[in-house]
Amino acid sequence: MDHCKYACGTAEHAVSRRSFLGAAAAGVTGVLGGFTAAASARDLAKAGKRVLTIFLSGGVSQLETWDPKPNTDTGGPFRAIPTSVPGIHISELLPHTAKQMTRMAIVRGVNTAEDEHGRGAVIMLTGRRTEPGIEYPHFGAVAAKLLGTGKAELPGHIQIHPGGGGSFNKQDAAFLGPRYASVVVGDGKPPADLFRPAGLTTEADRQREELRQKLNSRFAKSRRTAMTEAYAESYDQAAKVIARGDAFDVTKEDPKLADKYGRHDFGRHLLLARRLLEHGVTFVNVQHTNYDTHHENFDFHIEQLGEFDQPFAALLDDLADRGMLDSTLVVVMSEFGRTPRINHLYGRDHWSKAWSVALAGCGLKAGSVVGKTNANGTAVTDREVNGGHLFHTYLRAVGQDPTKNFYPNDRPVPIADPKASAITEILA
Amino acid sequence: MRLLPGDRLFAVLFASLCTAPAVLADGLSDRIDSLIAAGHRDYAANAAPIAGDDEFLRRATLDLSGRVPTATEIRTFLADRSPLKRVRAIDSLLASAECARRLEQYFDVMLMERRRDGKVTRAAWEEFLRSSFAANKPYDVLVREILSADGTNPATRGAAKFFLDRDLDPQIVTRDIARLFFGHNIQCSQCHDHPLVEDYKQDEYFGIQAFFNRTFLFPNSQAPTAVIAEKAEGEVSFTSVFDKAKLVKSTAPRVPGRSAVPDPKIEKGKEYAVAPARDVRPVPNYSRFARLATTIATGDNTAFRRTAANRWWAFLMGRGLIHPLDQDHTANPPSHPELLELLADEFAAHKFDVKWLLREIAMSRTYQRSSEPVPSSKDLGPDRFAVAPLKPLTPEQFAYALMQATGFTDAERTALGANFSDAALHARLAPNAAPFLNVFGARPGETEDKFAATLDQTLFLKHGGTVRNLIAPRAGSLVDRAAKLTDVDALADELFLSVLTRLPTTDERKDVADALKTVPNRSVALTEVVWALVASAEFRFNH
Amino acid sequence: MAAPIDFKQTRVGLELKHTSPLIGCRFDPSGRYLFVSAQDDTLQRFDLLTGRKTAMLGHQSWVRGIAFSPTTAEAGPLHLSPPANGLGALALVAARPASSFTLVTGDYHGKLIWWDGAADTPAPVRTVLAHDGWCRAVAMSSDGKTVASCGNDHLVKLWSAADGKPVRTLEGHDSPVYNVAFHPTGSRLVSCDLKGVIKDWDLSTGKVVRELDAKVLHKYDTGFRADIGGARGMAFSADGATLACTGITNVSNAFAGIGNPIVVQFDWKDGKPKQLKPKEAYQGTGWGVALHPAGFTIAAGGAANGRIWFWVGDENVHKVDVPVNCHDMAVHPSGTALAIAGHNGTAIIYTMLAAATPAKK
Repeated sequence: MDHCKYACGTAEHAVSRRSFLGAAAAGVTGVLGGFTAAASARDLAKAGKRVLTIFLSGGVSQLETWDPKPNTDTGGPFRAIPTSVPGIHISELLPHTAKQMTRMAIVRGVNTAEDEHGRGAVIMLTGRRTEPGIEYPHFGAVAAKLLGTGKAELPGHIQIHPGGGGSFNKQDAAFLGPRYASVVVGDGKPPADLFRPAGLTTEADRQREELRQKLNSRFAKSRRTAMTEAYAESYDQAAKVIARGDAFDVTKEDPKLADKYGRHDFGRHLLLARRLLEHGVTFVNVQHTNYDTHHENFDFHIEQLGEFDQPFAALLDDLADRGMLDSTLVVVMSEFGRTPRINHLYGRDHWSKAWSVALAGCGLKAGSVVGKTNANGTAVTDREVNGGHLFHTYLRAVGQDPTKNFYPNDRPVPIADPKASAITEILA
Repeated sequence: MRLLPGDRLFAVLFASLCTAPAVLADGLSDRIDSLIAAGHRDYAANAAPIAGDDEFLRRATLDLSGRVPTATEIRTFLADRSPLKRVRAIDSLLASAECARRLEQYFDVMLMERRRDGKVTRAAWEEFLRSSFAANKPYDVLVREILSADGTNPATRGAAKFFLDRDLDPQIVTRDIARLFFGHNIQCSQCHDHPLVEDYKQDEYFGIQAFFNRTFLFPNSQAPTAVIAEKAEGEVSFTSVFDKAKLVKSTAPRVPGRSAVPDPKIEKGKEYAVAPARDVRPVPNYSRFARLATTIATGDNTAFRRTAANRWWAFLMGRGLIHPLDQDHTANPPSHPELLELLADEFAAHKFDVKWLLREIAMSRTYQRSSEPVPSSKDLGPDRFAVAPLKPLTPEQFAYALMQATGFTDAERTALGANFSDAALHARLAPNAAPFLNVFGARPGETEDKFAATLDQTLFLKHGGTVRNLIAPRAGSLVDRAAKLTDVDALADELFLSVLTRLPTTDERKDVADALKTVPNRSVALTEVVWALVASAEFRFNH
Repeated sequence: MAAPIDFKQTRVGLELKHTSPLIGCRFDPSGRYLFVSAQDDTLQRFDLLTGRKTAMLGHQSWVRGIAFSPTTAEAGPLHLSPPANGLGALALVAARPASSFTLVTGDYHGKLIWWDGAADTPAPVRTVLAHDGWCRAVAMSSDGKTVASCGNDHLVKLWSAADGKPVRTLEGHDSPVYNVAFHPTGSRLVSCDLKGVIKDWDLSTGKVVRELDAKVLHKYDTGFRADIGGARGMAFSADGATLACTGITNVSNAFAGIGNPIVVQFDWKDGKPKQLKPKEAYQGTGWGVALHPAGFTIAAGGAANGRIWFWVGDENVHKVDVPVNCHDMAVHPSGTALAIAGHNGTAIIYTMLAAATPAKK
C-alpha cells in the first residue's frame, strides 16, 4: 500500500504547499473581475458565467460515488440506488444527490494515468500533465481571466479551504499573473483585518491613502518595476475588497437556508461559495477533506460523503431557485479515484485509470452519463477521457473557446491541451 | 581610466596608506567592478551612476544592520565631508551588534526556512548564530560546526538545529545540504537521475546520504531532547525508477567533485566504542557522520566555495551570479563566471572571512550604483548588475525598519535607560516583529525567493493592530518628536529623514503642512502621515 | 474443562480456505461448525466433523454480525490431529454433532437473516430489515429469546428470536454503534459506538443504567477530518464479571491506519476500565477479543500481517504471529481452540491444547 511511489515532494512531483496558500502579487496593473454593486441574481444571469468547483481532497472513490459496482469482487458493501434519471444509478451514500441527477452529468470514463496526489491535482486543475519548465494556470485563474467582467471589486478567484487562515496563492495563476491568483478563505472566515479599525475615520483613511499614492507616484517615476506595481495594486485591491466585506459574511444568509446546507463546516463553506458567486466572484473552489482512504475506505466514505451529500443537493436547489444554475458550472472533482481492489485494511489506494467526475448546471446536457467502465470497474471500456478533455469541456460549458491561445511573453499557449477536446456528449 | 566617485577614490588612497600595497593591487572590490563592467559591451553606457549619500546609507544600513538609519545617522552622514565616510559607514555597520543579528536572521531563514522549532530552542540556535557572526567566525568553520553537531553537548546544542529540526529526515537533509552548500537542487535524484539537469545524478544524492544513513535519533524521533546517534553498519541502496531491470546500486559516502570516503577496515568485534544496547546510545569507532562536515565545508571543495560566495553575493546584490541559487549546473552557467570563480577563490583564500567579503562587495561601485537608471539608458537585464536592484525587505527587515522609522525602537531604548543593551532592546523588539514574520514570511520549509503583495499583507498594514501600535505616539516616538516641532518644514524633514532616509521635496513639505491643517489634532494627523510613509513602495523596498 | 490448555503452545491446527477476503468468524455453541463471512457477500459453513464447506446465500452485502441460539450441551474439546480428512492435513476428533440451532446474521445493508445453522444447506428462514445503513453486530441473549442488533443509524434494536418481531429500539448513541453484547446472566445489554461510548442498558426498562468509557478507542483525526474508532470486538467473560472491547488507539494517521491495537477491559461491577496493550510495539487494529474461561484475555488483529495476543491480568505474556491480517477472532466453545478470519480468504484454527510432550522453549 504505497502512499505514493516517490516521497519526492518537488515542484515536479507535487503541488507546492504554497500553491494552496498563495499570494496575489507582482505583475499586471488593473483590477479584478466582478461587479460594482451587490448584483441581483437577475443581473448576474445577464452578466455572465461563473464556476464552482468542489475538490474532494485525497481522491474520492468512484465506486462509492458516481460509478458503483455492487456485488462484484471490487464493489464493497454498498448498494447502487436509482436517481431521478431513469437508468442512472449512483452509490447509496449519495441519496440527496441522487435526486439532483436531472441537473447533472457524470463522466465515468476518466483515465488520468497519474496516481500521485500532487501531479494528479495538477492534471485536474490545469487540464494538463506536469511538464518540466512550464506551469499552467489553474482552472480558477483561467475562469477568472476569461469570464471576469473587468469591473470586479472582489477577487475573481477564491478558494475556500477547510481550515487555517486566509492567505493568497501566488502560484496558481502561473503566467496569467497574480491578478488571477486565488484568495484563500480559511474555514470560510473573512480575511483578517478586513474591516477598518476604530479610530480611523473614513476621511482620515482617504487622506492617508492620497498621500501614500503621491509618494508612490514619485517613486515610480524612476523605479517602477513589476514589484512596485504589484505592491501599489495590492492596496487598490484591498480597498475594493474592504468595501464589499459583507460578501464574506455567511451569517447574513437566511438561517433556514443555512439549515438546508447543513450546520457543519462544509455546509457553511458551500453556502459561502454560493454567496460569493452571487456577489460577483467568478470562480470559487471549495475543498472538502479528506478522502485518501488507504484504510477503512468504507467507514470513511460514509462519514465524508455523509457530510457532502446534503449540502451539495441543497446547493443545486439553491442555485436553481436563484436562477443561477443555468449560468453556473458546478464540478465535483478529485485528484483521482480509488483502486477497485480492496486492500487488506479495508482501504482503497490511488487509482487514476478508471474513475469519474460529476458536473452540474451551466451548458450541460442535464441527466446525462458518458463513458463506461467494465463490470468491476478496473478499466474504461467506452469513451475514455483524461484531464485535458475535462478542461475543454468545462470551458465549453461556460461558453469559452478552449482552443484559443493565451500569449504569455507574446508566445501562444493554447488555453486547453490541444491534444484533447471537449466531451460533446454532455454539452447542451 | 575609470571614473571613481570622490570618496571612493579617497578610500582607496587611505587604504593604501594603512595596509600593504598588495592588498590595494588585489582589491577585490575593484576586480568585481572590472569583471562586472566586462560582462556587457554596453555596460558603461547604461550603468546607473553611483548612488547619492542618502540612497547609499539607507541601502547599506538595511543590508548590514537590518533596519533603516535613524534621522540622526542620516543627518550626520549627509553633513560629513570626509571622502572616507562610506567605507567608514560600512566598517561601522559591519562591526555593529545589529549586523551580527541581521546575519543571524538571514542565515536562520536560509538554513531553517521558517520550520517550526522542535528539538532545538530558537534561543539556543539564534545565540549560536549571533555569537558566531559577532566573532566573525570563518564561514567554513561555522558550516562545519552545524554539519557536525549531534546535539549531545548542551553548550553547542543550538548548532544541531539544522539536523534535529529536520528530524534527521534523510530526504530533506540530503536535499538541503545539496541546495544550501553545493548549489545543487538534486531532489529529483532521489528516485532517478535528474530528468532535466544532466549534471545531477542519483549517485550524488545517495553519496551525500551515505554520510548519515547510519544515524538515527536517540532515544527516539519524538523526544524533544533527542540527539543524533550512529550505528557502525548500513549502506545506502537505490534503484532508478526508470530502470526496468531494477538494478540495485550502492555508493560510499561522497560529495560532488570529491573522491569517495570509504570506510576503514575495522576488526570484527571492534566496531563500537559504545556498543548498542537497550537505552544506550551507541558510539561507533568509525563515524561516517563525522566525515560529513569535513568533506563538505572546506576550501578545496569547489562546489562549497562557489555556493558560499554566490550566496553572500546574493545577500547584498539581490540575486546570485548563479541564479536561482540552487541551480548550479552546466545548462545554467553563472552570469559572470570569472567573477564567481574569483569571489569563491578569494573567499577561501581569506579563510572564509565573511565580513571581509561583505566589505569588499559593499565597497564596489557595482554595489553602490543608484537604483535609478539614467533615463535614456537601455535595460541590460538584472543579471548584468548595471543598476542597483529593488530588493523587497525581508519580513525581519520590514519589521525592524518599521520599528526604527516610527521611533518605536528609540522609545524602547529610552525606556530601558541605564539597562540598555543590544540584547535587552532586542528582547523588547522581537515580539513586535513576530506578526510580520507570520504574515510576510514563507510557509515552513519553503524558500523566500519571490516578492508577493497579498491581500492579507496589505490588510495587515492597513488595519492591523501591530502596525498601528508601532506608529502610535509615545514618549520618544516619531509622532511624538515631530508633534513638538513648531516649524512645519522641520517637522516634514524629521518625518522623511526618519522613515525614507531622505529630505522631502517642496511638494511633499506642502502635503505634510496640508495634512496638519485639515486635522485639528496634530498627533492624529501625524499618525496617518507616518502611516502613508511606511506604507509607500519607497519604504517597502531596499533600493 | 478437562482438556489441558496452554496458550503458550498456541499453534496452527487447520487452515480453512475460501476465495474471498474474510470479514467475520464464529463457532457455533456445539463447537462443530465454524461460520465465516466474506467480501463476496456469502457466509461459509465449515463442518469440522466432516470437512464439508457449505455456502450460505442470502445476503447482498458484507456480514459482520453472527449470533447463535444457545445450546445446553457443553462442547467437547477440539482435537486437531494429523490423519487427513476432507479438510486437509488435519483431522478433528471429538467435536460433537450439533443439534438444530438458529443462526442470526446481520449485513451492511442493514438486514438480519435467520438460518437453521445445522441444515444440510442452510437457507434464509426469515429476513428483517433492521437498520438504515450498516448493521454492524448481532448478539443473542443467553436464554435464546432475544436478538440484539446495532448499526450506523445510531440505534440498538431488540428482536424476538422466535419470530423476528421488533421488541424494542434503544436510542441514545450519537454515532454509529459498532458492537453489542448481552450480559450472560443479568438482564442487561451493552453497546459501544464509534466514539467509544459504551451504554449499559437495562433490558426490563430500555433505559441506560450507566455509561462505560472506552473513548481511548476513538480519535477524530484533525488532519483528515474524520473519525476513527469503535469497538471492533466486544465480549463478556462467561461469568459476566468482565467485559472486554478491542479496537485501535493512539491513531496518528487514520487514513493509513497508523495506530496501536488495544483491549479495554472493564470490571463489570464497578465499571472501572483497564488497558491491555501489546508488550511489543505493534501497528494495527484489534478486531476480535475474548475472555477465556481459564482467566486470560485473547485478542487478535493486525494490519500488514496479523497477530494474536494473550494477557494474564494486564500483562501481555504471549503473542502469536499470523501471516495475514485478522479481521475477526472467535474462541471455540470448549476453550481449546481459536479461529481467525484472514484477509486472504483463509480462516486459521489455532489449537491451545497442551501437546502431549510440552513444546520445547
